[in-house]
Amino acid sequence: MLEIKNLHARIGDKEILKGIDLTIGKGEVHAVMGPNGAGKSTLSAVLTGRPDYEVTEGTITFMGRNLLEMSPEERSWAGIFLSFQYPVEIPGVSITAFMKAALAARRKAQGLPELKAGEFLKLQKEKMAALRMNPDFAKREVNVGFSGGEKKRNEIFQMAMLEPVLSILDETDSGLDVDALKIVADGVNALRTPERSSIIITHYHKLLEYVQPDVVHVLKAGRIVTTGGRELIEAIESKGFDQF
Amino acid sequence: MGHGKYIDPICGESYKVAAGETLRLSYVILPGESRSIDVAVDLTGEGAALELTALYLSGADETVRIRTLVHHRVKNCHSRQLIKGIAGGSADVRFDGVIVVAPGADGTEALQENHNIILSDTAKVETLPQLEIYADDVKCSHGATVGRLGEEELFYMRSRGIPEKEAKVLQMLSFISPVVPEGREEEIAAALTKL
Repeated sequence: MLEIKNLHARIGDKEILKGIDLTIGKGEVHAVMGPNGAGKSTLSAVLTGRPDYEVTEGTITFMGRNLLEMSPEERSWAGIFLSFQYPVEIPGVSITAFMKAALAARRKAQGLPELKAGEFLKLQKEKMAALRMNPDFAKREVNVGFSGGEKKRNEIFQMAMLEPVLSILDETDSGLDVDALKIVADGVNALRTPERSSIIITHYHKLLEYVQPDVVHVLKAGRIVTTGGRELIEAIESKGFDQF
Repeated sequence: MGHGKYIDPICGESYKVAAGETLRLSYVILPGESRSIDVAVDLTGEGAALELTALYLSGADETVRIRTLVHHRVKNCHSRQLIKGIAGGSADVRFDGVIVVAPGADGTEALQENHNIILSDTAKVETLPQLEIYADDVKCSHGATVGRLGEEELFYMRSRGIPEKEAKVLQMLSFISPVVPEGREEEIAAALTKL
């Protein structure tokens, strides 16, 4: 599904990714772990097409397409979703209006007719209920005055609405208490099908107790230094990242 | 005028607000017109209040002038002014806002905010807030900014599949939402696309 080859990327004149190779197959959950400053967030930024990050070398192929030639919205339409580490506030725009615009744009790009208002609201209600969110949440302005946990839950709600093929969770577990973490994990697991894949970026192991990855990578100083199974999580927990 | 160097509006509006009353003023300038708003408000009775909002959406070679003079003459008057707008094209916008707090007008609360977004290198926005305070027990604040549409918000929306152009419109709607009068949302949303 996703193939990253020799990816080098920089912001300004600082090179952050120094040759990443990563292949993710259909239905797989990959964890990318690493200390602060390893380049984890840069990887998610480059995958989603954030401006300011420049790819200087390497390729990214997503479902047979050259991802690096696609705009952020095109990547979303193709099924990529990023749960932001720091979700952005959009005053004056309700969650309903925001999701309506997002869904309508994607359906249009896919050549599908727009959902009827009733259908949209029903879908939204279902997804909110599954994440145990108060329906009044839909009326609130996007992320304005939300607690850390509410922001992350809102990200997972948007993910559930957009049903991405590849979900990237960037430090979604940071700042969550155990209850919120479980809800987020349930949301991620609900999307776990043989067709969908996820990348979970984290420097904790907490979320990975609830969402068990198939493959674990350790990212350090812009390179993947080790790849393995779940046993790596335990090794990191007991001995940290210095061993790699 | 007892204080300040502000010159009385020549062909503007002026209001006196009596004790315990609240004056609400709301202005909208849409693309396609050059306009001056010139308004003076005298808070003359104790506990008088002013709530003022103004919105401009200006493009092409339009000129917009907004001048407000709010005079707190007696105790315990409140005023809140929020002026927001978006300038594109070669629009030329200027805001002058003067708040005068007279001697003895203790308990005054005066708030003035002027925030502007420019969409092009050729648009020009000047903002000149002024406070003249002659009383002691006063809460006054003013803020003025001129900026561009935020990259973070734009990327957030695009990452959800909202196309860039539409995302910018949503972002502009978000920015102006506090000064959009009730019932005019659709008209103003449509006007935004003309910038």
